[in-house]
Amino acid sequence: MIPFSPDVFFALFEEYNLAIWPAQLVAYGLGLLVLALVFRPSRAASAVIGAILTAFWLWAGLVYHWYFFAPINFAAPVFAALFGLQALLFFWRFLIRVDMTFAFRRDVTGAAGLTLMVLALAVFPLFEIAAGHAWPQSASFGLTPAPTVLFSFGAILLARPRIPLLVLVIPFLWTMIGTATAWAVGIPENMLLPAAALLSLIVIIRQRRRMA
Amino acid sequence: MTRKRHSIFQPTRRVVLGGVASAGVAAAAGPLLPGLSLAAPAARLTRTIPSTGRTMPAIGMGTWITFNVGASRKLRDARLKVLQTFFDMGGGMVDSSPMYGSSEEVVGHCLARIENDQTLFSATKVWTMSEAMGKRQMKASAELWGLETFDLMQIHNLLDWETHLRTLRSWKERGRFRHIGITTSHGRRHDDLAEIMRTEPLDFVQLTYNVLDREVEARLLPLAADKGIAVIINRPFRRGALFGKFERQPLPAWAEEAGISNWAEFFLKFIISHPAVTCAIPATSKVEHMRENMDALKGPMPDAAMRLRMVDYVESL
Ligand SMILES: NC(=O)c1ccc[n+]([C@@H]2O[C@H](COP(=O)([O-])OP(=O)(O)OC[C@H]3O[C@@H](n4cnc5c(N)ncnc54)[C@H](OP(=O)(O)O)[C@@H]3O)[C@@H](O)[C@H]2O)c1
Repeated sequence: MIPFSPDVFFALFEEYNLAIWPAQLVAYGLGLLVLALVFRPSRAASAVIGAILTAFWLWAGLVYHWYFFAPINFAAPVFAALFGLQALLFFWRFLIRVDMTFAFRRDVTGAAGLTLMVLALAVFPLFEIAAGHAWPQSASFGLTPAPTVLFSFGAILLARPRIPLLVLVIPFLWTMIGTATAWAVGIPENMLLPAAALLSLIVIIRQRRRMA
Repeated sequence: MTRKRHSIFQPTRRVVLGGVASAGVAAAAGPLLPGLSLAAPAARLTRTIPSTGRTMPAIGMGTWITFNVGASRKLRDARLKVLQTFFDMGGGMVDSSPMYGSSEEVVGHCLARIENDQTLFSATKVWTMSEAMGKRQMKASAELWGLETFDLMQIHNLLDWETHLRTLRSWKERGRFRHIGITTSHGRRHDDLAEIMRTEPLDFVQLTYNVLDREVEARLLPLAADKGIAVIINRPFRRGALFGKFERQPLPAWAEEAGISNWAEFFLKFIISHPAVTCAIPATSKVEHMRENMDALKGPMPDAAMRLRMVDYVESL
């Protein structure tokens, strides 16, 4: 029950991108900062990463879903609430309960996390171009759901000492919603989402088994 | 936006004449081919709403997905042409709902920009829970369309129908709506719908019917005819899937003689020739598709024998 057609969906992206420009540059810069900070882990760096993830989800919830998307989709307010809730969870998990550090280590978990972050920042835009959804009809990093969820999966996998499960519930849920939409509307680049979710699941199970 | 005010449906002379002509000529000429009745070439099929005696063209327009184009100027301009074509070709009913995203707003935007919409039969829905929310939503719809009254207000998918039906009746008495009705597109709600049709005074029901989905033929269509309820047919193309299924297949050899020149006409003539059907509401985003759809109002209409032949043909493919 998707109430819009692909041309409308991409026209909306275009309208959104032009309206929020140059927020895309800021978001991309923040993404690169997160990438740099995972190589210099500290409590302060982790708080900064937590704040950036909170901001990404809050923006995608309020500005993308609530403000831009709601006029064409009756489900958008629910999506906005989900993204808002995820922002709250990030805030609580990484800025209030400061007992975790985002850190890259040379192990399977670290490699998977880093891969997903790089996918979101560098590979996803290439997939978009290949699918014919180049700027301004592209999904902006950090400001639209798909690349934000992809990036969040990567960052969460790098949280130490243990990958926090609570902050993964909504990204997994969104993967299902986003994949179904992508399938119906025809957004092949969004098929990176289920791949990321699957990789995350494997890494989590592996980590839990090793810790047990 | 300059907001203009449409009054309730007032059929143009042209449309009424079309209906009279088709009925009259068909009766005089008798069948051309077995199973076919002849209509004057330019006549357009109209139907009468049993409860009020008003006539309307037997093809209207749906707006699910197709008119939900948001704020995009380019897409709004494209839909404006679709709606213009609809009215140019004698269209009447436009069906929408608050569920359809920006569709109501886009319809209002287009109506404010076209002059040839005198035959408009405005139909929308209430789709929410509670009396207060329903009232608020129906007022918002009127604002979005740029109308003071609706020709038809329907309860979408039976949602909170007892509550809304009270409001609909009282607002109809006060002249805000000319007709009231209820809709579904789910077979599993047919029992409930049948019960409502039997027990509540309704002007319209809206349900799904097409050459493949014919469940309503057994009970709901005869019930509507019996109770004098007008019937709107949604999903006449099974959301476009009928084209995907049959488009590459040839039309039957007898199609041309039957006044059917493309699959859209085949599907629509099958529906609107059912005696209990008042109006089918195909949705389209394309002017050329609108032309094909509206062309189904013209020419000979299949009779019962031909309708069976049409079913046999698609089932043989
Ligand atoms: N419960 C309810 O109240 C309810 C439920 C369902 C539907 N409805 C109403 O019924 C309306 C019709 O149903 P629907 O929109 O679901 O489906 P539909 O009218 O059966 O099919 C619409 C699809 O058919 C395609 N189409 C239209 N004319 C065509 C042509 N001549 N040639 C080829 N393709 C053509 C359209 O694509 P193009 O844009 O490319 O032409 C569109 O994808 C809705 O818009 C809505 O107003 C109400």
